[in-house]
Amino acid sequence: MNDERKATTAGTGLLTDQAPARPLPPAPGFLTACLRIFDLSISEMLWSKRTVFMLLIVGAPVLIALFIRALVSLGAPVLEGPGGVRMTGPAIFGMMIWIFYLRFTIPVLGVFYGTSLIADEVEDKTITYLFTRPVRRSAVLVGKYLAYLGCTVFVVLPSVMLVYLLIVPIRGSLGGSFLDLLKDLSLLALGLAVYGALFAFIGAKYKRPLLIGLIFIFGYEQAALAFPGYMKYYTIAYYLQALVPHAMPNDGALSLIQNIFRETPSLLTSVVSLFGIWLVFLALAGWVIERKEYVLEQ
Amino acid sequence: MPIHDQSYRRYGGLKTSPGRAWSVIARAGIMTMIRKRAFMGLMLFAWLPFVVRAVQIYVAANYPQTETLLAPDAKMFRDFLEQQDFFVFVMTIYVGAGLIAQDRRANALQIYLSKPLMRAEYIAGKAAVLFTFLMLVTWVPGILLLFLQVMFKGSFEFLKANLFLFPAITVGALLEALLATFTMLALSSLSKSSRYVGILYSGILFFTAAIYGAMLAITGDTSLSWLSVSSNLHQIVDLIFRQTPRYATPWQVSLIVVLGLIALSISVLERRVRGVEIVT
Repeated sequence: MNDERKATTAGTGLLTDQAPARPLPPAPGFLTACLRIFDLSISEMLWSKRTVFMLLIVGAPVLIALFIRALVSLGAPVLEGPGGVRMTGPAIFGMMIWIFYLRFTIPVLGVFYGTSLIADEVEDKTITYLFTRPVRRSAVLVGKYLAYLGCTVFVVLPSVMLVYLLIVPIRGSLGGSFLDLLKDLSLLALGLAVYGALFAFIGAKYKRPLLIGLIFIFGYEQAALAFPGYMKYYTIAYYLQALVPHAMPNDGALSLIQNIFRETPSLLTSVVSLFGIWLVFLALAGWVIERKEYVLEQ
Repeated sequence: MPIHDQSYRRYGGLKTSPGRAWSVIARAGIMTMIRKRAFMGLMLFAWLPFVVRAVQIYVAANYPQTETLLAPDAKMFRDFLEQQDFFVFVMTIYVGAGLIAQDRRANALQIYLSKPLMRAEYIAGKAAVLFTFLMLVTWVPGILLLFLQVMFKGSFEFLKANLFLFPAITVGALLEALLATFTMLALSSLSKSSRYVGILYSGILFFTAAIYGAMLAITGDTSLSWLSVSSNLHQIVDLIFRQTPRYATPWQVSLIVVLGLIALSISVLERRVRGVEIVT
């Protein structure tokens, strides 16, 4: 018996000497991990049911623009604005940027995607698989955040371009308002980045992130902009709206009040503040996810 | 009975009469929500406007010099109901988004419908959960305000002069609660994710409002208000409270849109709530 054991041990020792165990590859760095998660998440985000929702949101302004263009081509008096003032294409485009993109699409996409970066994984009980990989937890969040940014920016901005091409030529010139278009595209991308960072934090921190997000964009922000005082300084919309090169439309009582109390911070203040909000909330989201224990409900 | 006997045994318990099983689902749903502390906080917050209006009525009733400014009238009750719109929105998402979506996610729909429970009863039970809470933040405080007015003033004079307010508050709150309940339930039956349902509901409400806002800014005409779900409701409730309608859209058009939405939601529910899912 003892001889047998010795032979086996000897045999094992011989094998170990001949084929040493392969050393474990080093864990990827933060940036490499982010890019791997980005690569994994972008296709998941693009080919999911929620893309249909995003396409509906960004497709509707294009359809409306197409409809207006068709009516104008047929000679319908649709551009006879209030008080007999004839509206121009660039003015309608500016208004559509305000009403559809700035007040609705950007915050809603931010809430929807930002809050689901982590909440989706928790809900599907797949977060364990991500957290057991040899990557930092914050890299998972940043990788997913980059995928969100890529996914939304490359769907929203083409929609803005299409609206621009359809609407601006009506009593306007494409060249004349091209600079405004560039500003619009930049501020919308900035808006997606900042709202996304804020809601990524809310999604990582709270159990009911969607409700908090909706109350923030449709309750708190709208009310804060309609009150005089300092409250508006604690919103994203205040800094984002200051960058818009078009006049704010009066399409309701709330818009009218917001117009009365509207203050426009300088370009530098707006950009620095937005950058600060983005940095703080993305860092906070990373910090929260590194420390929080996610309990998966059965 | 030998332990190996696995033959069929008849149910020996009490049988409830058909058509009453919905109350079990409703009661369970309501109790689940009441046990949540965050929900109760939201409920209390939704009653804050009631407290403010109650103070207004008290001051107007007891200090005649403020009567010209604070005296309650039909418009005050209409404004109160409109102020509750935000809480109706939040509550609809909080309570309603997961009502059917979570059952679909957990494949519980098949289990529910394998019991002596009709589809209509299941839907009625789920609808009753949301409907109850929506009426608690619209109809109940509205009627209580009317009652407080009589109590603080110590006379029925106001109530007699504005007797239509009781049916107006009832019908206005009922319409608002029914529209929110059925649209949310229909959306909830379409998905397995309550977050997706919540965002779809907000999308419908705010996006239709955005489309109307754009049309208003372009044409300067309010006759396209039927495009917005919430504007249709405002138009009808204004009329119920005998106020001047705020949009040029005929109220009949707004009513058709609201009733059409409820009918569409019921039709969606009829198709989506099934015990067996046929996969093609």
